[in-house]
Amino acid sequence: MLRMLAARLGQMVFVLFGISVLVFGVFFATPGADPTARIAGRGASPEVMARVRSAYGFDRPLPVQYARMMEKLFVSRDLTSFVDHGAPVVPEVMAAAPVTLSLVLWASLFWVVFSLAIGIVSAVLRDSWVDRFFMGIGLLGLSMPVFWLGEVVNLVTQSRFHDTWLFSWVPPLGYVPFSESPLGWARALLLPALTLSVAFIGLYARVLRAELLAAMGEDAIRTARAKGAGPARVWLWHGLRLSWLSYVSLFGMDFAQLVGGGALLTEVVFALPGVGRLTYQGLNTLDLPLIMATVMYAAVFVVLANAVIDGVYALLDPRIAEGRHGR
Amino acid sequence: MPALLMLALLMPGLAAAEPPGVGDHRGGTLHLSAVGSGGTLDPQVNYTSEYINLFATMYDGLTGFRKARGLAGDGIVADLAEALPEPQDGGRTYVFRLRDGIRFSDGRPVTVEDVAASMRRIFRVGSPTAGSFYGAIMGAKACLEHGAECRLEGVVADPSNRTVTFHLTEPDSEFLMKLAFTHASILPADTPDHDLGNDPAPATGPYRIVRYDPQGGIFAERNPYFHVWSQEAQPDGYVDRIEYRFGLTDEAAVTAIANGQVDFLYDPVPLDRLGELGSRYTAQTHIEPHLTVYFAPMNVHIPPFDNLKARQAVAYAINRHAMTILYGGPAIAGPLCSMVPPELPGRMTTCPYTRGASLENPAPEWKAPDLEKARALVRESGTAGQKVTVVVANRSVDKAMGNELRDTLRAIGYEAALRPLQPALMFSYIQNSANNVQISIKDWSSDFPSPSNFLDDLFGCENFHPGSSSSINIPGFCDAPTQALIDRAKTDVTLTDAARNDLWAQVDHCIAGLVPATPVIHKYDVVFVSKRLGNFFYTHNFGLFFSQVWVQ
Repeated sequence: MLRMLAARLGQMVFVLFGISVLVFGVFFATPGADPTARIAGRGASPEVMARVRSAYGFDRPLPVQYARMMEKLFVSRDLTSFVDHGAPVVPEVMAAAPVTLSLVLWASLFWVVFSLAIGIVSAVLRDSWVDRFFMGIGLLGLSMPVFWLGEVVNLVTQSRFHDTWLFSWVPPLGYVPFSESPLGWARALLLPALTLSVAFIGLYARVLRAELLAAMGEDAIRTARAKGAGPARVWLWHGLRLSWLSYVSLFGMDFAQLVGGGALLTEVVFALPGVGRLTYQGLNTLDLPLIMATVMYAAVFVVLANAVIDGVYALLDPRIAEGRHGR
Repeated sequence: MPALLMLALLMPGLAAAEPPGVGDHRGGTLHLSAVGSGGTLDPQVNYTSEYINLFATMYDGLTGFRKARGLAGDGIVADLAEALPEPQDGGRTYVFRLRDGIRFSDGRPVTVEDVAASMRRIFRVGSPTAGSFYGAIMGAKACLEHGAECRLEGVVADPSNRTVTFHLTEPDSEFLMKLAFTHASILPADTPDHDLGNDPAPATGPYRIVRYDPQGGIFAERNPYFHVWSQEAQPDGYVDRIEYRFGLTDEAAVTAIANGQVDFLYDPVPLDRLGELGSRYTAQTHIEPHLTVYFAPMNVHIPPFDNLKARQAVAYAINRHAMTILYGGPAIAGPLCSMVPPELPGRMTTCPYTRGASLENPAPEWKAPDLEKARALVRESGTAGQKVTVVVANRSVDKAMGNELRDTLRAIGYEAALRPLQPALMFSYIQNSANNVQISIKDWSSDFPSPSNFLDDLFGCENFHPGSSSSINIPGFCDAPTQALIDRAKTDVTLTDAARNDLWAQVDHCIAGLVPATPVIHKYDVVFVSKRLGNFFYTHNFGLFFSQVWVQ
């Protein structure tokens, strides 16, 4: 167990090191990316430029700058933005995390419930018009870019039909913390979460349907049927247990990358101040500390999620755990 | 199209101006919106119009711009000083007497020591304009080099007489304007000598910042110690609170204004919404003159634009009408022949580079591009067939203009390509001569209403720093006769306004002759405000002036 934890930790450090070097290297390799002039301000004199360069350490060798940035990000945790001078980026990311987590929790609730329902119904009624209809809708949902769908949702609910009875309840774009108003929190997140979940519902329903149908051909199902299990038990108990491995692994990875900032476009379109929007802002203003902090945060999540998924695998399918112990 | 015509009817200056109201309009919260924050709260460091426009209701200098609509707002008035001083010693000395009874928002009185310390702080904190605006103050040179030890001998405070004397090393005819800029705001003497970042400094104006979150917004309330000492320098505010929130996209903010959830959007209104605003929200849409030019600087040190004829060819060929359309149409932009926008005096009022015109026989206005003449000039220059890359910011309007320029360059004989760059780095990239940018398209706005902001800033020899990303003389232009005219306009305090404007017009003409850059278009500001916002008050320098609008 300890060895496994150490291996995981080593893996995480390795991934974080690789990504941070890459982000840092790409930033400084970009022509014109030297942040001195942008920090100093329009038309700054050479003396002011020199002052900024020395104050921010841009006159030092790149490896030293890298080491200082990592030290400020992970050890002293007082790394400050190049754009909002003096704004520490670590607390900014931490303040944005609950927004993203709320959005992704809501979205995952929608996509699990709807994809399970659609996947099971489509598998049970395979090749019927119901199946074809759902799979067609699923494909449509999968194909719609989330930023476009979000803008259309905004156009309908905030602009064209905002004053009608149908959408007059829709609050202005933005986020309401749960602690301020649970109802406001839910209302602010409903449409963004639904928008974010549409593509996932389409994808997960298709995956589940395919897995369920494949599972139906397995010996275990035949045995269950022979032992007199009814259709409901066959599909929902035996079928799902046999087919949800890929569903769960897919869910784990998607959930992690969304919490890590992958819901960027949804957050930007719906003005939700989450990690994704922070990343977007960092990229827009070429704010290296902010980019570094958000990318590191995302990387930590993805590596952690990998570890959690492996654990869940073992729970879902004891054979995996046994295999590991047997090594 | 009818929608755009409706917008065209909203010509500048025609926006209805309501008379200032009285106490019954006092109160309420003004809701402002911007896509992102504008950076540091330090008024002596921040150089974004997003915050400078807000700081104008919070901080004061010894002088200030008159808070008035239209051209009247370009004038300088005494702000924390009792009166505007007459220049002494040939323009090398100014003596200000500080008003009595003014307090900072923390209750402390404003003293002459605060004034002197604030001037020193410009250098200690490394304000972006420390060199360019305040470099003429005696002692500034040493302060620029060793900020921490800055003593600034040229600013002398005399508490017994409440006077502050400025000694300059050379006369500066725009010194009073520069003191009115937010970087010369008066802050308490004990304000730290580092960038304040997220911590607001005590204010002197009607509002003070009470909370700031770069991801959330700025929240300002009334300054309890404020009283009106000069209506035209710093009038009292109508609203009780200002909430400036960040995060809505420009599209979403326009919708929010239409819904009455937001009162004003800082960012430009997206082009695809202009038609809708013109047709459905005519009364809420205002088109105001903006001191901004779009121009195409050409690097005079590398081929093909190290050749005068090649540069003249571009000036003749560029289709300013097409550029106007690409920017959004003639209602919000117009062809430009001078490097100074039309709202300012001190500019060349004719058009040398248009069909049927020349530098010697200019046309009264731009008519059409002259491609034939341009092709002939390219042939004569011997640069035909050379590779030219146009650099623009990767934004829809700039890219469209870049495409148009690329096609024009191809049409006159160059092998042209377009290189759109990330907007955040494009400006510093084109400034650095090491990047060998041949030609680009860039917009440029003034810091204060003077032709110097366009002619000296962009073409003065002192603003070319080879190999630096902070070199706003992008073409690397330096011409001794032109510079002599610039220097005279900047330093001769004996000149009348008319004579100085005449000098600037000559500078403009000289620059047109050597074409280190070609002007493209000037533009108007489209301001969309909520239905409830009253007393629409727009100034040249600060855009919508937040303290003078009301919401109830």
